[in-house]
Amino acid sequence: MLPRRIYQFLIIFLLGIAVLFAVKYLFGLSDYVIPSPADLRDTLAAVYKHYGADVASTLSVAIIGQVVSIFLALMVGILGRQTTWFGSFIKVAAYNVQAYPIVAIAPIIFILFGDGFFSRLLIAAMICYFPILLSVLGIMSEPVKEIEHFYRVTGRMRWQLEVKIRAFENLNKLTTVISGSATLAMAGTIVAEFIAANAGIGYSIRIALYQSDLSKILVALFLIGITLAIYQGLLEAAGRMIGKGVTVTR
Amino acid sequence: MALSCNHIFFQYPGASTEVFQGLSFSVKQPGFNALFGPSGVGKTSLAKIIVGEITGYSGKVNADGMTRLLYSYNLERLPDWSSVGRHLDKITPDSKDEHKEALVEVFGMTDYMGLRFSQLSLGQQNRINLMRYLLQDFELLIMDESLANVDEMTRESIILKIKAMFPDRYFLYISHNVVEVSKFCREIVVVRGPLKQPQTLSLTGIDLKSHQSVDRDRLEQTMLEIMNAA
Repeated sequence: MLPRRIYQFLIIFLLGIAVLFAVKYLFGLSDYVIPSPADLRDTLAAVYKHYGADVASTLSVAIIGQVVSIFLALMVGILGRQTTWFGSFIKVAAYNVQAYPIVAIAPIIFILFGDGFFSRLLIAAMICYFPILLSVLGIMSEPVKEIEHFYRVTGRMRWQLEVKIRAFENLNKLTTVISGSATLAMAGTIVAEFIAANAGIGYSIRIALYQSDLSKILVALFLIGITLAIYQGLLEAAGRMIGKGVTVTR
Repeated sequence: MALSCNHIFFQYPGASTEVFQGLSFSVKQPGFNALFGPSGVGKTSLAKIIVGEITGYSGKVNADGMTRLLYSYNLERLPDWSSVGRHLDKITPDSKDEHKEALVEVFGMTDYMGLRFSQLSLGQQNRINLMRYLLQDFELLIMDESLANVDEMTRESIILKIKAMFPDRYFLYISHNVVEVSKFCREIVVVRGPLKQPQTLSLTGIDLKSHQSVDRDRLEQTMLEIMNAA
């Protein structure tokens, strides 16, 4: 799965580059607009260490943000699963708040908390939090009647058991959502860095944009893509291992 | 103790027709009794009304002296995170350990207790599900197709064992097997469609016990009565 993710990314990235070069040579665009392959190679050699460190910084914020958002989403999802007034309130609030673009709130966060680590983390967590929350709410609100019935009628049902049953029965969905949210966390961090932060690959892309240096942007995209492909592949592999550990097939 | 339903009227929300129109019946004695009737006539709905899983009906359900009424059905599953043996251990009160051992043997599950639920055949799954209900405290247990997919010989020995082990409890056995119902049940409540009045007819079954042999003529007669009533 991991090599496949990397191949898939490389194919898509190289296709994109090929299209760019095709446009460049078809319309006779100068190297200032779209760099030549030699420029791209030279830029890669010049900045890969610096950009690699930036991507690592962005990834570390994204991972922490993702962990925070998974934890929060599980907590709120567990509370919101109930068919009580409070549960309904949490569900409605979650659906409404997630409809509001986090990027639009980002400037407020930077004004209040500055352009450091915390603002990047908060935006990353917020961007991947709501999709996870909606999935967790959906999973936790749906009773697994054919399993839960016995525990309910015999008075053995506790909230911990209810959560365990529902999480176990939807383990594949949960691991898919969590591995999918890695992209969102990464995108959230980059967006935050691009808007106002003072570190990370998003910040470097912003500088490259001001310099109108497409080579640097393409190198940054390549490093982001390959890192994300590896991270997602590892998350999927971990999800499969968990699934195999708890599920027995005939 | 006795179980009775008086003038039950019930309609599912959004449905155009009533499931029950003044349904009444009573089961006066404990033992192995049956709810019999064609598919879709409302046996499961009636069972859920009796145990309180369905509300919103009119009429009265009297379960005098009964506080623990359970309903089990054949689609239930055990969580797959541990073996069925461990699940049974967890839900069995200490005082019922001997019962558990006896049931595991009679239900033919001794060799399968280390397996998880998904590793069992459908018949084994239904047996293990029924076993865990039998290990609870109850005065009435409704068994809705609880022995589906179990072979006839095993089903017979299970029913006879249940009758021997729990002579003072009420059982309502829901099955479409007219031979089985006629042979093993004491009171047979035949549920009919809402257009037929009365909506139930009560018949007497053979109530066969261990080491008894069945009178073929009586069995055929009982089966005929059930089929005519349905």
